[in-house]
Amino acid sequence: MNVVIVDYGMGNIHSLIGALRYIGVQNVTVSDQYQVLKNADKLILPGVGAFYKAMQSIKEKKLDQSLYDLVINNYKPILGICLGMQLMCLSSTEQGEHAGLGFIKGTVRRLNDNKTRIPHVGFNQVLVDDHLKLYRDMTGQIDFYFTHSFKAETDFPINQCHCHYGDAFIASYEADHIAGVQFHPELSQKNGLKLLKNFVEHF
Amino acid sequence: MLRKRIIFTLIYSDGFFTQSRNFRLQKVGDLGWLEKHYQFQRISFSIDELIILNASKNAKATTDFASVVSQLTTNVFIPVAVGGGIRTAEDAALLFKNGADKIVLNSALANNPRLVKILIEHYGAQSVIASIDYKHHDGINEVFILDGTEKIDYLLNDYIQYVADLGVGEIYLNSIDQDGTGFGYDFYTINDIKNLINIPLIIAGGAGNVRHLQQGLQTEAIHAVATANLFNFLGDSLPNARKIMLDAGMNVATTNEVSKWNL
Repeated sequence: MNVVIVDYGMGNIHSLIGALRYIGVQNVTVSDQYQVLKNADKLILPGVGAFYKAMQSIKEKKLDQSLYDLVINNYKPILGICLGMQLMCLSSTEQGEHAGLGFIKGTVRRLNDNKTRIPHVGFNQVLVDDHLKLYRDMTGQIDFYFTHSFKAETDFPINQCHCHYGDAFIASYEADHIAGVQFHPELSQKNGLKLLKNFVEHF
Repeated sequence: MLRKRIIFTLIYSDGFFTQSRNFRLQKVGDLGWLEKHYQFQRISFSIDELIILNASKNAKATTDFASVVSQLTTNVFIPVAVGGGIRTAEDAALLFKNGADKIVLNSALANNPRLVKILIEHYGAQSVIASIDYKHHDGINEVFILDGTEKIDYLLNDYIQYVADLGVGEIYLNSIDQDGTGFGYDFYTINDIKNLINIPLIIAGGAGNVRHLQQGLQTEAIHAVATANLFNFLGDSLPNARKIMLDAGMNVATTNEVSKWNL
């Protein structure tokens, strides 16, 4: 198994690399090179930080083109984590309106300031759907670690699971070979390790 | 529902992990000692977050500290916040590279607000924790920086406002008076400042047993309780504390199903 973490210079990937090795992935590589990404069995798009800056860096490295070719034209499985799941949407309103990678027909906006403290930090429960590949063997409310100020939204019937913080928001989406999680599986103890294992084994 | 968090804080100083009492540090043991008495990888499954603070006097040797952070966080799959002696963006970058998911800033909040803003812009508010040390004196709470050695002009309530305005993601509020005493948290002050804060509040200083942690988590304004007491939570104390809280139906995260997963 060869998992490549897409490197666009943002986000802490120390724990992610450790988590993938812990669940038995033999090859974990961090790269921005098309050929390396192409040889991956699975891709992971991590990310912490601001949407616009991330997209800027992705475009500078021409990763938008590489990922479009691999994920959309060639059905390479990909998991977006936190900002990574937001980047795969159409656009975000963080620091102005900015276009994303557009793999998922969703948009990104700020959590509701009026109802809650922002950022949303800590373990929170996700009502999981065990028909989804991401949550195989899991049922009911599962705790995952969140740390974010923005959320993805969609009007389209994309498979999604929700978490509650002020309002319900999308904690994860899954469209065939493309998945995204707003939480950090690599920081969610065994619940997160199980989810990563599901991604690696079932996508 | 958003869970409340139990946080373990480690204070590192020139090669050793230390027990602090009113900010006076006593060497306890090195990485080997910590491994022997805490079996860190295992313990990490019963806490929600780890904070590692560098109190080294040796010019805050950030490179050595970063290597300790890297070793400590191997196979630890919970958020790790790291701080102490962060003076430049490069210091912060080095810690992020070595396993920090968030950074903890203290003296820089007062001395270098520009750096704080740069770090927030680069890593996001959720990655920056403001650590505030205060001490009660003649009916007011004074604020200290540089490991509690230098008093600044702000009073606690004004400083909290100032720090929140900088745009940090969380506040780690530590009572120097209660620190290491095991007498319990300073609920008087927490009650006084709770309405000033609209970001997550972590309280520290004084926890000596499970009951103190529970009292903290039962307080609405408190999002997370931290303990840096190496002696009072030896061995299985933290896993037991978590179990007691779960059995009591408290709002902390659970990983109940893990036994049937083959990870």
